[in-house]
Amino acid sequence: MAEVKVKKETNLSDPVEVENRIKELCHQFPQGITDQVIQNDMPHLEPQQRAMAINKLLSLGQLDLLRNSAGLLYRLKDSQSTSKMKGSDNQEKLVYQIIEDAGNKGIWSRDIRFKSNLPLTEINKILKNLESKKLIKAVKSVAASKKKVYMLYNLQPDRSVTGGAWYSDQDFESEFVEVLNQQCFKFLQSKAEAARDNKQSPMVQRNSSFATSHEVWKYICELGISKVDLSMDDIETILNTLIYDGKVEMTVIAAKEGTVGSVDGQMKLYRGVNTIIQPTGLVKTPCGLCPVFDDCHEGGEISPSNCIYMSEWLDF
Amino acid sequence: MTAQEVRLCGLLLREHFGEVVEKVGTHLLKCGAQNLRTIIHETGLSVDLVKKSLCVLVQHGASTFSSGRKGPGSPTEYHASCDRILRILRYPRYIYTAKTLYGDTGELIIEELLQRGHTTMSSTVKTVADRLTQNMAEGLTMDYSEVSSTFSKLVETHFLQRCPPLPRVGNKDSSAPSETPAIPGTPAAPVNTAPPTPESFPECYKVPSVTLIGRGKRQLASEDGEEQRSAKRTHGDEGIYWQVNFERFHLHFRDQTIISAVANKLDQTSSEIVRTMLRMSEVTTSPMATCTKPLSANEIFRSLPPSYNILRPILDQYLTLLVDDPMEFVGKAGESGGGMFVVNLHRALANLARATLESVVQERFGSRSARIFRLLLRKRHLEQKQVEDFAMIPAKEAKDMLYTLLSQNLVQLQEIPKTPDYAPSRTFYLYTVNQLPTARMLLQSCYKTVANLVERRLFETKESKRLLEKSQRIEAILASLQVSGAEPEQLTEVEEMITAPEKQQLDTLRLHINKLDSAENQVDETIFLLESYINSTNASS
Repeated sequence: MAEVKVKKETNLSDPVEVENRIKELCHQFPQGITDQVIQNDMPHLEPQQRAMAINKLLSLGQLDLLRNSAGLLYRLKDSQSTSKMKGSDNQEKLVYQIIEDAGNKGIWSRDIRFKSNLPLTEINKILKNLESKKLIKAVKSVAASKKKVYMLYNLQPDRSVTGGAWYSDQDFESEFVEVLNQQCFKFLQSKAEAARDNKQSPMVQRNSSFATSHEVWKYICELGISKVDLSMDDIETILNTLIYDGKVEMTVIAAKEGTVGSVDGQMKLYRGVNTIIQPTGLVKTPCGLCPVFDDCHEGGEISPSNCIYMSEWLDF
Repeated sequence: MTAQEVRLCGLLLREHFGEVVEKVGTHLLKCGAQNLRTIIHETGLSVDLVKKSLCVLVQHGASTFSSGRKGPGSPTEYHASCDRILRILRYPRYIYTAKTLYGDTGELIIEELLQRGHTTMSSTVKTVADRLTQNMAEGLTMDYSEVSSTFSKLVETHFLQRCPPLPRVGNKDSSAPSETPAIPGTPAAPVNTAPPTPESFPECYKVPSVTLIGRGKRQLASEDGEEQRSAKRTHGDEGIYWQVNFERFHLHFRDQTIISAVANKLDQTSSEIVRTMLRMSEVTTSPMATCTKPLSANEIFRSLPPSYNILRPILDQYLTLLVDDPMEFVGKAGESGGGMFVVNLHRALANLARATLESVVQERFGSRSARIFRLLLRKRHLEQKQVEDFAMIPAKEAKDMLYTLLSQNLVQLQEIPKTPDYAPSRTFYLYTVNQLPTARMLLQSCYKTVANLVERRLFETKESKRLLEKSQRIEAILASLQVSGAEPEQLTEVEEMITAPEKQQLDTLRLHINKLDSAENQVDETIFLLESYINSTNASS
């Protein structure tokens, strides 16, 4: 006896049936369905019934209402998130949605207010609520220390908010930067010394005293002084500070694509250098470093004749 | 002429020539060109004193005179030159350079000329020979011809030059310059606004044929009669006066600084190559040129000192390295002859001046402020946030350092408004460093520093004047006793007149004065660098 498949005629006047049909359609088109699609599927459905069904699904939180250039879109909501929002009312859902949209850059409470048009007290209450439910978290921005941005709980804050590798808990880690600075410098200096002791032809000497940024990066990683992973760009910022200290110079050479460490067909080479002059004569005198230099004149309170800095310096 | 420069000139004049000359000199510096009557009236000194001071100043080239402003008939006006007086600070360096290049003879020649201002060759040679003879062992004397040959060598390398003959202006011819009527018809023609430079005369570096035969004489009382007779002999070079050519010394100092900078940055061999290049261009390059004349690699190879026998390919490699260096000391000007190379003088001076500024900031404010300063020099204009990011300094400290540098005027602020009303919230504020104005400012600080050091030295001397006089008297007594042959007990008795703490005081005083002196010389090196840079920039722009 063959099973006869009986197609159950959907009773279209039953609202539940309508809702189920709509949900099935949403499953079929995961990116969302328009009103037009629903109408095509159920042509004899009246607009009123359709609207009622859609509203019911929306209020149950099973459907998402979106808007695109063509019109309104209905999308099936993720069942997991539906369970999360149980017990929250519409306003909270709205705020949650706004925060979700902000991605990993986070959003400021004032911006939430603008987008949702809710009064400030309401916003604060909702935010506290959501935070206690562990759905969102507040992250202090490194740019303005008083500003707090909100983002979803499980998201990693973006680099611009936390400041990247140099900031830990909103504090600029100057000792860390200093240590890296000195390590890089020592590496380049020892390389230059080794090249100088080599005593080969000058071209070879100079070329061997160069180190690519990739080499320096590898050396620092192997040294293991950093708890955070540093990228090559981070190392290049450190090397730039060494250039501004006048201890290192940089050249850019063209490199074959594919050689290790080349970026866009170029490689940056760094080399330790010495300063071209000794500390200048002016700073060897007390006047060169005097904090009250502008107040000093003959016959005044501060004058060369009774200068205490000079007396100390002369007796040194 | 800034106030600091005038103050320093006054102190230098007082130390070297006395208070009267100082008064006249500073008056001329402050008030510009003036004629004799006005000077007498405004300084309140007597006519004689003013005339003598002007003589002294003109003799040393610190003052020039020219026809009055109202035309050829008006009284001559005297004009003091600040630069020339500031050169007095550099005399020790000139003498030391002459010593390294030409030995003791050269040193004494330069010293004589610096002391006397303008002299003839014969008198210089005689005096120097006498001085050298005094310091030599018994029985030896210095021949005039040796001194003459050193003198000629100094003239050939342009370290000495003839004083320019001045056109006859009325009857007032106060000492120095020669009497040879140089330009015919000058008194009738209008006077040039600028005094003729020594180099505009064709015979500037020509050594006159002088008959100088003799040897240096020791200073003995019995020689008096003979000396008077020999002084009346003429030597064929009357009226030809010589002076020290400061510009040539300055070029020499500049070359030295460039060579030592190359040695610091690269290595010894590179600096030798640069030294050779500079030596070859000594006479072909004008003082204000931005770079030397192109030299081919072949020429450089031939002119290298024989002790440095490096191979030709190695030389080429060194030259390529010098050209590639970011400091740009040497540039390539063409490919003929194995490569034509020039030394970029202006750029080298700019780099040296920049290094000086950076070192001042570093010593005064610390290495992090120096980092910010170098960053701004490189990147020209930056916002405060960008400064913090590039320099990797915490925001609060960076702000503090920038504001300190701004208050000292080493860093400037440039406002770029977004709206026509310069509302602070809608304006960009960019920090920037301008090298030339900062160098000028630092130069003025150097002048003030040197003036402070000189004043302190005078003060210390004045404090211990009594002690110094006492020690001088005792030394005189000792010397006279020794000459007249006294017993040791008398000598010790006299020596004991100075007590031990006084002796210690004298020693500390001597130490202080030496320290202050050497500090003046060190600051003068900075002054030289900054002045060269500023002059070179003015000449090239």
